[in-house]
Amino acid sequence: MLLPGLPAILGGRVAAGSAALLLWIALLATAFLGWERFLRALSGTWDERLALATWALAILLLAAWSRREGRPERARRAWPARTQWALAWEAFRKNRLAVAAAAVVVLAYLLALLTPLLAPFDPALQGELTTERLLPPSSRHPLGTDQFARDVLSRVLYGARISMTIGFVAMSISMTIGTLLGAVSGFAGGRVDTVIMRVVDMVLSFPRLVLLIAIIAFFEPSIFLIVAVLGLTQWPHPTRLVRGEVLSIREREFIQAGRALGLSGARMVLRHVVPNALAPVIVAATLGIGDTIVLEAGLSFLGLGVQPPTPSWGTMVADGRDNLFGAWWISTFPGLAIVLVVLSFNIAGDGLRDALDPRSRR
Amino acid sequence: MTVFLLRRLVQAVPIVLGIATLVFFLLALAPGDAVSFLVSPNITPEALEQIRRNMGLDQPVHIRYLRWMGSMLTGDFGISLTRNEPVRDIILAILPNTLTLSLSAILLAFAGGILIGVFQAVRHNRLADSALSVIGLFFYSMPSFWLALMLILVFSLGARNLWEWPIWFPASGMTSVDYPFMSPGEQIRDRLAHLVLPSLSLALVLAAGIARYMRASMLEVIRQDYVRTARSKGLSEFRVIARHALPNGLIPIVTLLGLYLPTFFSGAVLIETVFAWPGMGRLVVDAIFQRDYPVVMAGTFIFAVLVVIGNLVADALYAIVDPRIRYE
Amino acid sequence: MTRRTETLFLSAALAATVSGCLGGDAASRTAANLPPFCQEVLPRVEAFLAGFAHPEEPRFGGTAIVGTIGEMPSGMNALVSTDYTASQHQTFVHLMTLVRLDENFEPAPYLAESWEFDEAAETLTFRLRDDVYWHDGTPTTADDVAFTFARATHPETGFPNAAFWAHYAGGEAGVRVIDARTVEFSVAPHAEYLDSWRSTAIMPAHLLGEVPPAELRQHPFGSRCPVGNGPFVFESHQADASWSFRRNPAFPEGLGGPPYLERYVYRIIPEQTTLLTELLTESIDFYLSPGPDQVPQIEDAPHLGLRVFPFRGYDIVAWNSRRPQLADARVRRAITLGIDRGEILQAIRRGHGTVANAGVPPFHWGYLAETADSLSHDPERAAALLEQAGWSDRDGDGVREGPAGERLELTVKYNLGNQQREDIAQILQAQLDPLGVSVTPQVVEWGTLLNQINTPELRDFDGVVIGWVPEFRVDDRDLFHSEEVDQPYGWAGTADPEIDRLVDTLRVVMTREEAVPLWHELQYRILEVQPYTYLYHVERLAGLNRRLEGVRLDARGEWVGIREWWIPADLR
Repeated sequence: MLLPGLPAILGGRVAAGSAALLLWIALLATAFLGWERFLRALSGTWDERLALATWALAILLLAAWSRREGRPERARRAWPARTQWALAWEAFRKNRLAVAAAAVVVLAYLLALLTPLLAPFDPALQGELTTERLLPPSSRHPLGTDQFARDVLSRVLYGARISMTIGFVAMSISMTIGTLLGAVSGFAGGRVDTVIMRVVDMVLSFPRLVLLIAIIAFFEPSIFLIVAVLGLTQWPHPTRLVRGEVLSIREREFIQAGRALGLSGARMVLRHVVPNALAPVIVAATLGIGDTIVLEAGLSFLGLGVQPPTPSWGTMVADGRDNLFGAWWISTFPGLAIVLVVLSFNIAGDGLRDALDPRSRR
Repeated sequence: MTVFLLRRLVQAVPIVLGIATLVFFLLALAPGDAVSFLVSPNITPEALEQIRRNMGLDQPVHIRYLRWMGSMLTGDFGISLTRNEPVRDIILAILPNTLTLSLSAILLAFAGGILIGVFQAVRHNRLADSALSVIGLFFYSMPSFWLALMLILVFSLGARNLWEWPIWFPASGMTSVDYPFMSPGEQIRDRLAHLVLPSLSLALVLAAGIARYMRASMLEVIRQDYVRTARSKGLSEFRVIARHALPNGLIPIVTLLGLYLPTFFSGAVLIETVFAWPGMGRLVVDAIFQRDYPVVMAGTFIFAVLVVIGNLVADALYAIVDPRIRYE
Repeated sequence: MTRRTETLFLSAALAATVSGCLGGDAASRTAANLPPFCQEVLPRVEAFLAGFAHPEEPRFGGTAIVGTIGEMPSGMNALVSTDYTASQHQTFVHLMTLVRLDENFEPAPYLAESWEFDEAAETLTFRLRDDVYWHDGTPTTADDVAFTFARATHPETGFPNAAFWAHYAGGEAGVRVIDARTVEFSVAPHAEYLDSWRSTAIMPAHLLGEVPPAELRQHPFGSRCPVGNGPFVFESHQADASWSFRRNPAFPEGLGGPPYLERYVYRIIPEQTTLLTELLTESIDFYLSPGPDQVPQIEDAPHLGLRVFPFRGYDIVAWNSRRPQLADARVRRAITLGIDRGEILQAIRRGHGTVANAGVPPFHWGYLAETADSLSHDPERAAALLEQAGWSDRDGDGVREGPAGERLELTVKYNLGNQQREDIAQILQAQLDPLGVSVTPQVVEWGTLLNQINTPELRDFDGVVIGWVPEFRVDDRDLFHSEEVDQPYGWAGTADPEIDRLVDTLRVVMTREEAVPLWHELQYRILEVQPYTYLYHVERLAGLNRRLEGVRLDARGEWVGIREWWIPADLR
């Protein structure tokens, strides 16, 4: 079967099948309509090549999935055993809302990666300031233009990469720190635990805005600073989470057994404790990416977010709000983008939580 | 338990002092000071120096630090460098505004969140459940200032000018300008009307989170044996939920109350700005930008104390509502 | 405690707090923690004003509400005043100045009935009105004027506008009280010898005389309970929220009598969209400085009117001539030629302003409207000038290189949170790029930026987008004189003997006839030296509810005619 999605539709899974089919058509259409751009991208920047690679990978993955869907039911059960993860996946798949949300998230990341091939204009390119600024949505500018006559659609697309990268990187930083500290704290206990938890208390009671403004006053504000600040101030929550999880894990038999075998502390933490405490961390990370995107928007409101001309959704909403009456499209579209993506992260995260929690799987 | 709480309180003292110290040095080391904002060719360098002397800014950092510590320990927070008033007076004037807004938002959020959560748990996995989840998350996913602006556009501007609804809400401030000349009844109504939009925009976001916890916690409880027993006794569904399930479902929610206290204090800057609400968030953020460190320090101090109190309240409430928990 | 009573107790406590905050009368709550000074003074004001009848004529009555984004941090204390809005309220609303400017910007009597010089032009004598009272009933006399002058020139006060008095003999020695209505000063010749008396309001000696100069700044007079003598009496101030004033029924008939408005409220609303909403829903009457992009909404609303009026402020890009790229005046001129300032004005302010060539505002009598070469947008000439100065793009990368191979790359800074300057920096980047001048906009937090540009040892900038609001007494000495290069405001760092001579002479020329040619010469010279790229002179905007009548707005300020604002009886 060459047409991805068709087997699934025939097999009765209409929603998933037609989504795949549409995506397939859309991917081919971009290549067909923008073939000149694709050719240029071949010898273009790192950015454009990455987009090309993403495009090819998406096509391949879709085709592979289609082949698997085409095979008979039993052969498709590729999962080796009913592990915890396989069980969770089965449960997650049954939650249609969560699956749809996850699809939106994947699609958003796909769009973000493909942006150099898709965006009609350079997001920083200013048009004719006297005639082209604040144009309402039209066929040339589907989402209108902003106060510098820049194309809002292109900026929303490029903004996706900035905002979602900020969310992803900051969350990775805080989750890594949080997981390690939490695992150590919970596993070691005693004085180490007390010290770490007091530090957690301190960071939690430290006003983040003070820190942020101070840092921005010290250094020149940049996207790295924002990611760093967001990442370095959000780790206390995962720390607490993981610590609680570890406290319950370390009483279980396999850890007791490891102790009896004389395994080193670090090895126990990294090989046995962390993997087993991972489920809640994954859920927290999914929810956290969404929260971070919203947080960045809040910082932009105070002028502390990503600085122009780099488009982030938060900056676009915050800077466009003065034009809310006269040119609603400048801030409304990035605002909707934030809501859609964060909403999807949250629904997917809730779905993950339900799926990963054996108690709610009953 | 009193002993436990006292010990936690004592442990909190170094944390609070440590934070205050850190904030002080962060601000002291940042380039520029409160006086450097007086940009005008009319100001002679000598005048600037004199103003610094009058404010005590000419002293070395450690002396200023000790002075501030001293003044703080006596309950006097010094004098604001930009507002030229004792910080204590400023805070005393502004803190009640913040409390009014936060408490009404907390009440709204908990009342709404708990109701919705329970309703969702009862209708578990049906359309209403999913729909409410999505609607709740929709508000939760919005940047709060954006939600606030939308509320203003709809319930203030739209309601009054566009659709001419019988009720519309004021978009800013705590009272009307002729508040002092109103009768007490009108005054309360005026205050409430001004409170609606800001507390609603704070509460909507929170209620979504609370409903989420409440739903999960109720689902857990409903599956418990004693609830089944209650049902099998033939009690009405309402009685089962209200009398047997709800009290236990509320336990984890109660702790949220403590944890939200400080969030309100720091998270409200945006809402305060949009609705022109004279609160602590705006006060402190303006002060940071202007290097008005006595105000920042006082704000930070109160914030840290609130966090500590919030945590203690959470612990205490937890122990009270759940007899299984014992603090040693 | 059982579970149930605990919950009850908690909700009761919450309810009590909320109702306490809701029901408590704001006035009584603040009165309780008023400083002793206020508790003593306010009843006296009450008692004095109670003795006056309020006028009953049709125009009298009503409350006008002005909304704006900023607080007035320096309050009503003229001796520490640093911000524009506070100074406007001091001079026009709450306090009085000796002289004020009339519509033609000529000094006119206000608290001073008349003034004269002696023959040697060394002694200036003011004759005061005898019918002006402080709001607590004490007459305003020469002692108050002498006190204000003594404190303003006292080194320990740290009076922020000390430069006003540079040509006055300072301290106790410079002022003599002849009688209650007459006071004289020793002065040196100066072009605008009265300007300091226009900008500094007189402060009450009987209330503040005992306060040590160093403590004036933090005195509760400033924002807790000011007692002025102007047309409006202080009513209340809620930090970050509002200032309320009411009519002063004792304001002298000779100056037009009490104001029409019964109350006047200044509201602080830090968000522009909210401000516009409040104007549209008629919750405020006067929206000060709406964003240019909000203009169409104001113009479209039938009950609102847009007002445009000149202002003293102008926006610039200050260039740091200490940088090798910018040392040559030809390069600075080429950059100005490469910038389409008309387009910037159009894009940033929807055309509300005038393209500027120097700091002399269009309404100033020394303003030079037509110049032979005003450096209007001309990319070709700009390119030619750059080539001539030795900057051309030798390696074909789109950026010019200088004689020593250094690239023509400039970082233009602007302050965090200032949307307009951010916009200007971005447009500069786009406009100068085709010229082969690479501009990188860089945002810096305001306090840090001031530190970077004002500290003579640092001067850490190539260009900075910033603005000035000069006094009516335009004086560019602090900005451009070669002696000021290493002072805080010597941003440009250009030293030009011609400019030195002109700014020094202009300070002491007493007649306008003599000064006008010199002003013109200065403006030509600034075009030549081009220490800044002057962008535009600002025109202020205001959105007004049509019910508020009699509002006169000009370069003197928004509040200049507040005594004559009135509201028709049926619209109050």
